[in-house]
Amino acid sequence: MRVTLVARPRAKPSLPVEAESIIPQNFLRGTDLTVYEGNKERRLEELFFITVEGPAVSPDQVEVVLMGATGRVKRVGEYMNAGRIVIEGDIGMHCGNFMSGGEIVIKSNADAWLGREMRGGRITCMGSTSHNCGAGYRGEKRGMRGGTIEIFGGAGDFAGEYLAGGEVRIHGSCGDMAGIEMRGGLLVIGGTVTRPCGNMTAGTAVVLGHVNRMLPTFQYQGVNDEVWDGKRLKMDVWEGDVANRGKGRLLVAVGK
Amino acid sequence: MKVVDVVCPFCGCLCDDLVVEVCDEKVVKVENGCTLASEKFLGDHRLQSPILREGFGWREIGYEEAISVAADILLAADLPLLYGWSGTHGEAQSVGVHLAEVLGGVIDNTSTVCHGPSILAIQEVGHPGCTLGQVKNRADVVVYWGANAIEAHPRHMSRYTTFTQGFFVKDAHLARTVIVVDTRRTETAEIADEFVQVEAGYDYEILSALRAIVRGREDVISGAVGGVAKTQLIRVAEICKRAKFGAIFFGLGLTMSAGKHKNIRNAIELVEELNRHTKWTISPMRGHWNVYGSNEVFTWISGYPFAVDFSRGIAFYNPGETTSVDILRRGECDACLVVGSDPGAHLPRACAAHLAKIPTIQLDPHVNATTHLATLQIPVAVSGIDAEGTAYRMDGVPIRVQKLVETKFPDDTEVLSAIYRRVREVKGQ
Ligand code: SF4
Repeated sequence: MRVTLVARPRAKPSLPVEAESIIPQNFLRGTDLTVYEGNKERRLEELFFITVEGPAVSPDQVEVVLMGATGRVKRVGEYMNAGRIVIEGDIGMHCGNFMSGGEIVIKSNADAWLGREMRGGRITCMGSTSHNCGAGYRGEKRGMRGGTIEIFGGAGDFAGEYLAGGEVRIHGSCGDMAGIEMRGGLLVIGGTVTRPCGNMTAGTAVVLGHVNRMLPTFQYQGVNDEVWDGKRLKMDVWEGDVANRGKGRLLVAVGK
Repeated sequence: MKVVDVVCPFCGCLCDDLVVEVCDEKVVKVENGCTLASEKFLGDHRLQSPILREGFGWREIGYEEAISVAADILLAADLPLLYGWSGTHGEAQSVGVHLAEVLGGVIDNTSTVCHGPSILAIQEVGHPGCTLGQVKNRADVVVYWGANAIEAHPRHMSRYTTFTQGFFVKDAHLARTVIVVDTRRTETAEIADEFVQVEAGYDYEILSALRAIVRGREDVISGAVGGVAKTQLIRVAEICKRAKFGAIFFGLGLTMSAGKHKNIRNAIELVEELNRHTKWTISPMRGHWNVYGSNEVFTWISGYPFAVDFSRGIAFYNPGETTSVDILRRGECDACLVVGSDPGAHLPRACAAHLAKIPTIQLDPHVNATTHLATLQIPVAVSGIDAEGTAYRMDGVPIRVQKLVETKFPDDTEVLSAIYRRVREVKGQ
């Protein structure tokens, strides 16, 4: 089954829309779903032109395609466990929150908290994402626990904050404090990052580009030969965060 | 008539020892207060009646019409924002939260641009805090980090730290060691025993280094961190470890510089580390006189201290998403009610520009920068001068502010309650 949702023009296009109902499993029961636009509950068809093609008997047979102005549509794919969501443009905050299976493909940019506390499945973002990608909710002790997030552009601040499992791969550069409070999992950054991995206790972070302002509380362990993305690289290995009795590993490509 | 034990409704110190002289329903003299207090009590440029924008001008209207216009604006909105609240008393804040709930709006206080990051850090790792009385009577080492007490909280040092005696700290000026950490040599730094001058934006690194040193791992620290020599960091760590009772006070220099809530978390974790050696506490230097109260009141009612979004009928909180600066910058809200704050003067330009685009209602006694962006302004009494109510000091102690003079103006609680009643009436509740 392929469900196509094309955003209708809205009188107040800046108003946020909360649309956690947009997950593949929900469309098995039809399209009579609701979303919130500001403080008004709306039927899905008030905000989207909906087309449904073909049958499905289980969520993994459902593909949802979002088109048009969806940059303010939040929480798409929240608690998704199977199937596929393809977003042709930008997507709002909290896309893929708590997702445990299936796949989300974002062809442009994603707003903040992409894949927040994700447990499984895969998110691919062809553009860039904002702050707190793969992070936890405020005050949570664990962020993403499983699955994969791959960003072909860059990310904002606090990418992979509280990362506890799974893999976050950012091909571009990150803002400040990626991998802060990391306690597991793998964070790979292709470009530049500032002050990575503060307070980390476990897990591995790999920086293939340059580190601005390495934190003073990481202990240098020497140079290792490592293979990343099929390339053999010499990498400086750091362990920390010593301020936190941490035993995380931070690998930085030599000479970058 | 002289009124004693008056509470100053200006900064988070909420000094409660002022003597105020009142003559013909006017404050004419203030004793014991600092310059800021005198300005607040003696300043008098009040807006005399509600004003409604019409074309390029203003029309004076009555309170009844003002309340009905305000209710209509808020009811017509799909996402109203109710912002401010730190410059009013707890009773008005409470009505504000109920109003936000019935409207399905977002309510946020000025913590969003001051100590919001402190709250986020406390939610991550807790708060080893204490009252100012504890500090006064026990602290022999006091740290001001990113806080210029002498200029922003002028009586903090004379009431609670270096210039006042405590039960266990008799010769305070000599017995207390003051450490100031700042990016520039402020007036507070001038009287410090140890001034640590940090390169702007490097507080996180300094705090991490101090944590490592306190736990005996100075071997990993290089010769200097963030512009501070390792020898000075070791000296500061030693002073802190030798303290009988230490207190860190931090300000916006820490909460609003790069790293934000992670700076505060690191400072709290430094205090945690120091508590393995001796007794240490940490407290934010709250700015507005009742900003702490707004956090308390919001929390009692909604469970969250600021940035509470009721748009779906239940309370949701996520600073960065439901905070006023983010909502305004993204142009998400379509009406705004401002109470006890001046966002036109304090928020970023893009936020002020959005406030000018949407219908903005302001409850404030004075004409201020927000007036120029507003559609409607309703003048109210000033809490602590011609209105009474409850406020919370920066250490969380509730203190009652008094009504010193009679006034023709209604207070925030009265105006907000009238708007609330009108909104419920229209909604048929
Ligand atoms: S220190 Fe603050 S509360 Fe005390 S008198 Fe001055 S302005 Fe008022």
